[in-house]
Amino acid sequence: MSISIIPQLVRKDFLMMRKTILIFCLVMLASIAAICLIFGRVPNVVFFNLGITLLIAPAITCAIVLIMKTIVMEKQKSTQLFIMSLPVTVKEFTMSKLLLNLPVFTVFWLAISGVAFYFSFGLGVFPFGTIPFITMIFLGIFVAYVGVLSVALIYQSYGITIITMLFLELGTPAYLWIIAFMEPINSHFYEPHMVWNSTAISIVATQIIAAIAALLITWHIQNKKRDFI
Amino acid sequence: MSMPLAIECEGVTKHYPHFQLQDVNLSFEQGTVMGLVGPNGAGKSTILRIIMGLIGPDSGRVKVLGHSMPKDQLAAKRNIGFVAEDMRLYESENIAFHMDFIKSIFDSWDDEYAKNLLRRFDLNRNQKVKGLSHGQRVKATLLLALARRPNLLVFDEPTTGLDPAVRKEVLDEMMGSLQDETHSVLFSSHNTLDVEQISDYITFIYGGRIIESRNKEDFMDGWRRLRLTNLSNSLLPNLANIKDVQQSGRLCTLTVNNYEESILEKFASAGLQINNIERLTLEEIFLANVQSAKANSNKETLA
Repeated sequence: MSISIIPQLVRKDFLMMRKTILIFCLVMLASIAAICLIFGRVPNVVFFNLGITLLIAPAITCAIVLIMKTIVMEKQKSTQLFIMSLPVTVKEFTMSKLLLNLPVFTVFWLAISGVAFYFSFGLGVFPFGTIPFITMIFLGIFVAYVGVLSVALIYQSYGITIITMLFLELGTPAYLWIIAFMEPINSHFYEPHMVWNSTAISIVATQIIAAIAALLITWHIQNKKRDFI
Repeated sequence: MSMPLAIECEGVTKHYPHFQLQDVNLSFEQGTVMGLVGPNGAGKSTILRIIMGLIGPDSGRVKVLGHSMPKDQLAAKRNIGFVAEDMRLYESENIAFHMDFIKSIFDSWDDEYAKNLLRRFDLNRNQKVKGLSHGQRVKATLLLALARRPNLLVFDEPTTGLDPAVRKEVLDEMMGSLQDETHSVLFSSHNTLDVEQISDYITFIYGGRIIESRNKEDFMDGWRRLRLTNLSNSLLPNLANIKDVQQSGRLCTLTVNNYEESILEKFASAGLQINNIERLTLEEIFLANVQSAKANSNKETLA
């Protein structure tokens, strides 16, 4: 009987990346502290834009560093040959990468989403009518991340991963602007309660489905690979 | 009673746009050392990666220690130690990190042997991989493969780029790993000296094809260089086992495979005087094989 070595692979990657993760956690805490400092001292719109940049930057940077170091560089630096010589299949290799990268980013993503929602709605910066839109912003970030992660796993190429990141970095704000100009969404921005109409629900559902589909497609492609070196 | 096979490849093919591995048949018993010799680009690494389950063949069957590859690769790789020239360890980590990692995977990890290897290889477990020389890196990789006590060692060009002293250390340790009759080694090299030194069986590969595979003694006994004098400008007998002919005036040098004493009579009866019969080194045998394979390949292309 062969026991899976996925836990050992995840642990190995975590040990190698723990300093990086810790540094970005500290940067994230510093960002939150900065947000607390500027709260109430600048106009709401400025606070929102500055705050979201301070929150997203360390989370996204950490996610990109992790993807590059644990997935792309594994192939580029030929350490993948060392790993694949061990009792591990492509499926297990892929799972181990997902089990490190996804949870780390999810924790960052939940943290930034929580802070953003707390300041936006807990402290009354924005009316509750913007909750669906802010939800779409944060789900959009998650979908973009899953897209980059999937491409990195499938191709393990610097070039393709960077192009995907650039494409999604430019595409996500454009897509959010389109949503912001949709009448069924923006007509409720200033209402004191949130409105989950069919358009808002469809967009959120599409985002969730897109993230799950990207992961399933990645899993399927990885399982089909016959050559992995 | 014959030993079970360590590796069994039957009709293995793999097509790439600019390279084809064709009909590879290769097998050897457990407890023996097989050396795979071929020039760069011959297909040695592709065969070894197929054997390791890292590349799927287009057709054919591969069994390693009784396990079908790549289907049963998990079970097979538990008993294989693989070292490749282009394999890298994590530069930012030290040797101890890698040892702990491998130890956490293999119950068979032998701590005492690992310590012993560290001493013999003169490696510092706390040294980062980034600071290791090429030779030290190969030795560290070898240590990680050996200390888990695998039944089969697969080495892809393990001695490439090593200085003679380190090369000897690596080869000695490879030989030392064959403690009992169930341990086997498959290794590729374009250095025929290494292969000649430690192999029981030798396989020559060229252009994606196996051109000859035999045990070492048969190889060394089967090839001869005959130096003849053609006193009356006679025609050479048309023998299939003449692999190369070099003529300079009346002097004629033949390279012969599947050598038998009876060949000499045929030359003598054709009016040729035999001056000298020499054994060939493995390198010379390899070169003769490659030359013959090239000539055959050219004939096929022209046809």
